[in-house]
Amino acid sequence: MSPLVLVLVPLLAALIAALLGGRERATPILVGAAVVTTALALAEVLSAGAAQASYAGLVRVDATSRLFLAFINPIFLGISVYIWHRVRTTPALREGINRLVWLALVFLASTNALLIANHLLALWILLELTALVATPLIVRPGSETARRAAFRYLLFSTVGLGLVALGFSCLSRGMAATGVAPTFSVDGLLQLRPLPHDTWTKLGLSLALLGIGTKLGLAPMYSWLPETYDEAPPAVAALLGAVQFNAALVVLFRLVQIYRADNAALVAGQLLAMGLVSMVVSTVSIIATRNIKRLIAYASINHAGVIAIGLGVGGSASYGLLLYVLSNAFIKAILFLTAGKIMAHYKTNDTRVISGLIEDLPYSGVFLMVGTIALLGFPPFGSFLGELLILSALVGSGRMLTFAAFCTLITMTFVATGRTVFPMIWGPPKEKHDWPRQTLPAALPKLTFLVALVVLGVYIPPAFNALIQQVAASLEGP
Amino acid sequence: MSPLLMGLLGVMVVPLFVATWRSSLIGLSCQGFLIAWAAYRLSPDLYSVDTWFTLGDLVLVRGLAAPLLLYRLLSSQKRAARHDMIAPNLLSWTVALGLVLAAFNLSATLVPSDGDQRALISVATAAVLLGFLVLASQSTPFGQVVGALRLENGIALFELGGERHHGTLLTHVGQVAIVAGTLALYLWLLRGFSVDGSLPPSAGQDEPTL
Repeated sequence: MSPLVLVLVPLLAALIAALLGGRERATPILVGAAVVTTALALAEVLSAGAAQASYAGLVRVDATSRLFLAFINPIFLGISVYIWHRVRTTPALREGINRLVWLALVFLASTNALLIANHLLALWILLELTALVATPLIVRPGSETARRAAFRYLLFSTVGLGLVALGFSCLSRGMAATGVAPTFSVDGLLQLRPLPHDTWTKLGLSLALLGIGTKLGLAPMYSWLPETYDEAPPAVAALLGAVQFNAALVVLFRLVQIYRADNAALVAGQLLAMGLVSMVVSTVSIIATRNIKRLIAYASINHAGVIAIGLGVGGSASYGLLLYVLSNAFIKAILFLTAGKIMAHYKTNDTRVISGLIEDLPYSGVFLMVGTIALLGFPPFGSFLGELLILSALVGSGRMLTFAAFCTLITMTFVATGRTVFPMIWGPPKEKHDWPRQTLPAALPKLTFLVALVVLGVYIPPAFNALIQQVAASLEGP
Repeated sequence: MSPLLMGLLGVMVVPLFVATWRSSLIGLSCQGFLIAWAAYRLSPDLYSVDTWFTLGDLVLVRGLAAPLLLYRLLSSQKRAARHDMIAPNLLSWTVALGLVLAAFNLSATLVPSDGDQRALISVATAAVLLGFLVLASQSTPFGQVVGALRLENGIALFELGGERHHGTLLTHVGQVAIVAGTLALYLWLLRGFSVDGSLPPSAGQDEPTL
């Protein structure tokens, strides 16, 4: 099977939704396309062959592509089912649903294209394309604050990816200055050894890491993220947090896979610094916020910080880092979709007003509880094992100050999050409402994500584990 | 330094001191045209599709479409003529000139031999740094868009002197499409803001969302 079908199927479905799909047919088209693409992605993952470049060297499916295809597509499917159910049960949402559906499908197509791209410039273009497609999704009719958030999202995206483009230009100059024929093909760069480590290359790599860090919500350019995740509709926030975040992470992984061997100190130093500062700012913000969606957004910044630290340490942390990344995607999808359900009922995002969820909305209460426990890195979830392996690698590499700072910040995050979220779940209900009955289809996507989350912490199927190990080996460094 | 690069530096610096939105747009337009001229001088092969895409991007998108569409939008909103891109005080002006000097010093480190390449890198670095200064100084959406476009122009100039054969035609087309798409989205978003960039009272907060 050609990997391009993973791009063409959602594109074709987007075209059909834009041209033919009425309000009634739009969401079934979205779910149908997501089902087909997920099946194709899983088939691609299972048919593991040698990574070979095709289509003029622009496409290459390697272990990293397979791993991310295997969980990004099912997460998109889960979000699609959530959208379908929300639209079916809330007639007011049918207005403008066509536009959302075709934009979401183009978003999926560009994400899948990014995962199989074998050219740094193509990665850049496709990541920017996901941002361009996501921007109109953030805008809600009638909400000027959402429009402002969309503007800031686009602005930071332009600036961040501008820095990446500038970095790539410097990397190209570095190759030319040291007599290496400039190439941006990923497999070509992986075979080039040694890669230059002159001033141009160091500047280029540093700018590219800073730019991708902006897309991931890492400090210093993270301020777009809380506002965007807060203002975007919960389903769109889930798309940004669980799908686009991982697409940007793949670009970062590609850079680390290529450049770590010859520029280990720069990669480690910059990622550790960005990671730690991100954890500090997110911890302070988590303590201060009283908004459920902002809380999840700041937790995302915190997670991005942990991932940057794990990637910076490299070595034995890489396996733990990947477990953390996979768990993080499912956690964010569960929490954003649950927040959407809670906000739809309470008509507020103020954590001080929401109380007694376990009685009022039992499904949502359980999902929020389990999501928060996984978010905080408790067993039996993959995030626990991931954090443990990253901490162990920090000690093993002798970075005791970083280890101490990491532990302190994680503890503070735990206390602050628990203080805010647990009263929402187990506190006495402040108002008695007559809730509509919660149905299984509404809970099904989150239930599936929850099962995946537990599986990651308890038993990883051997084929999938082998894939994680392959990707971890490519990230370990010297 | 060639007169072309001196002219480019001029159209990047002067609009910071002539504080009207029209001069900012004229500056952006001139940057597009002058970078296109520099691109043509560096690669005068008019039989190459790559050259045509580069020139099309610089002349049509950055030199004409961006400033003209922004002009139409701002004219229709009847904006006041004055619009400071950086704070109108001695400190900001000193910072702006300091950034230009820093750009020239940095390029001397990056390109040891004196010549056209070093001058090009100096002007491109100055453009990028001044773009960041505008972004950092602006709170209005229009000013931020101008800052982002300045930054994009600086990056385009930076890429000119480097090796361009690492990209394929497809990636080149993709890059131009992304610039055009970003511009279109900025315009679409700007249309929804009030004249001073402030937010009107928000409606629709209680509407159901996905």
